[in-house]
Amino acid sequence: MHFVVIGTSAAGIAALETLRRLGGTRARLTAVTDEPSEPYSRCLLPDLLAGKKSEYSIRLRPAGFFPKLGVEFLAGFKVVALHPEEKKVFLEDGRQLSFDRLLVATGASPVMPEVPGVDTRGVFALRTLQDAREMASLFPRVSRAMILGGGLVGLKAALALKVAGVPHVTVAVASPRLLTRQLDEEAAAMVERELTAAGLEFIYNAQPRAFVPGPHGTLAGVELADGRELPADLAVVAKGVRPNVQLVREAGGLVGAGIEVDRYLRTSLPDVFAAGDCVQVTDRLTGRKTNSALWTLAAEQGRYAAANMLGLARSYPPPLTRLNSARFGNLDVVAVGKMEGEEVLRAFEGTTGTYRRLVFEGDRLVGFILAGKVKGAGVYTALVKTGRPAWKWRHLLLEGRAGRVVLGCLPPQRRVESKIS
Amino acid sequence: MPREILIDFARCTGCLSCRLACAVAHTQAKSLFDAVLAGEKPRARIFVHQLGQQKAPINCRHCTDAPCLDACMAGAMYRKEDGTVTNEGGEQRCVGCWMCVMVCPYGAITSDAAGTVALKCDRNCRDESGTPACVRACPTGALVYTEVEDYSAHRRHGALGKILAGGAGAP
Ligand SMILES: Cc1cc2nc3c(=O)[nH]c(=O)nc-3n(C[C@H](O)[C@H](O)[C@H](O)COP(=O)(O)OP(=O)(O)OC[C@H]3O[C@@H](n4cnc5c(N)ncnc54)[C@H](O)[C@@H]3O)c2cc1C
Repeated sequence: MHFVVIGTSAAGIAALETLRRLGGTRARLTAVTDEPSEPYSRCLLPDLLAGKKSEYSIRLRPAGFFPKLGVEFLAGFKVVALHPEEKKVFLEDGRQLSFDRLLVATGASPVMPEVPGVDTRGVFALRTLQDAREMASLFPRVSRAMILGGGLVGLKAALALKVAGVPHVTVAVASPRLLTRQLDEEAAAMVERELTAAGLEFIYNAQPRAFVPGPHGTLAGVELADGRELPADLAVVAKGVRPNVQLVREAGGLVGAGIEVDRYLRTSLPDVFAAGDCVQVTDRLTGRKTNSALWTLAAEQGRYAAANMLGLARSYPPPLTRLNSARFGNLDVVAVGKMEGEEVLRAFEGTTGTYRRLVFEGDRLVGFILAGKVKGAGVYTALVKTGRPAWKWRHLLLEGRAGRVVLGCLPPQRRVESKIS
Repeated sequence: MPREILIDFARCTGCLSCRLACAVAHTQAKSLFDAVLAGEKPRARIFVHQLGQQKAPINCRHCTDAPCLDACMAGAMYRKEDGTVTNEGGEQRCVGCWMCVMVCPYGAITSDAAGTVALKCDRNCRDESGTPACVRACPTGALVYTEVEDYSAHRRHGALGKILAGGAGAP
């Protein structure tokens, strides 16, 4: 059986490892990626920019990973077409690969605003190692950087530029506050305080109208929708991502908010599976269809897809599509599930500088935010995920005493884990 | 056969011996006194919780389908040949993003004293007989290190696992 995997990031790697682990040594594995390098962690690109990490240290797996796993690794080749009836994919150099089962793990690409000057030298997105390298090569000459977008990637990029020594870093946010999709007002304000202390500046309700080149053709400023023009010699666009669905769409596969997959991660094309940022998922809590766009989901989908490619029929449970953990300066933040609901409880703990928000629907915890101390966050996540009755634990949860809740969740007869003695 | 730390919840008296032993075993100095003198900050990777009369030690279950493995965006969390799930000793370094903390249903992952890397049970405290420090220190037999058949290992993860881990599961 020949398994071909397109994309060797979170989803692709998890799939390859699972294919080998469950498929044994006889499965033939081939991996293709258009990036020229060994797999690296996209999420650590800000650390690379900041100079906290090297290209070597953001690699995802140890040296010699592919040979050891018995994977033929084709790096630097884009897959340009998929012919499902012939069971073939075509690489840009003209090569063809035949497959028995294919995994499309092509991820997502940044959404760039359709405004004049977006191709100006000095305007970037931060998604690939190449992006980071090019950006870093400009650093010595950059005195003003402008970040467009107050989401996770935008803020991480902004802080990284500041740490790297860019004197002026301004974040232009379309909304009236930061992290509208991840945090409530209180937690967002805590993040803003932390980042302001680190020297970042913020402009709210601001959308770019044009990127303005200077006399040498490189970026000179960003014009905002309200008419203001702000000087900048570097701009980073962080306005979300769009799933890479072209291959599947052009092959006639169904596409919604991402590649459509069933609960076995099968696309509508025979023997073609998909996982990671390129797929559409159904949110566990809201039932809404949305693109995946999270590291953890990409890895777990890669794992499930691989099992299903081997014929093991493992149904992928609908995921939580809000599942974020981040650190801004000295502030840790975890945000999971819904932000609003029937009953919202909030508490600020002065001694540890920790803010907690719990969202309940009936007996059930459907979402939470922790900002400050995030210890035990996984217990909250587990409650959101399983839907176990949690209202009776609200005080403990609000006080951050997650450990007690773990004990409380063991039904009396199970309190002996196993027959010992 | 794999060996696992099993918890007999009925026997824990909450004496915290396991925590002390765990913390000390993970210092360079290997003794509390010397570690503190050397400026080390011993941190336990096992937790003892109390709810009403119920007390119990909780540590990493080294889950079969460990959610922390999926969540680790640095590639630092890995499973060793003996089944131990750890973020130490590999080529990739933990960056302290707390993704693992966010998904561990047992709340069994903590941070180092400086708050920069995640700390969890790595079983790197075993003596010549292969017994972990927390088990050696437990005076009541609430912690037992024993061989488990794959089947019962599964069942056990099932017991604690199903309760909290929910959708984690296969494959
Ligand atoms: C700066 C930054 C910070 C982030 N921080 C977080 C975070 O804290 N938490 C979190 O959950 N997520 C975070 N993310 C998102 C996370 O990185 C993604 O969810 C994750 O990488 C998705 O993995 P994937 O395998 O689905 O796809 P990707 O990582 O996008 O990889 C897909 C790969 O496929 C390749 N490819 C695409 N098309 C083709 C083709 N036709 N032929 C060959 N190869 C192709 C691409 O070049 C790429 O290498 C962050 C992302 C960025 C950029």
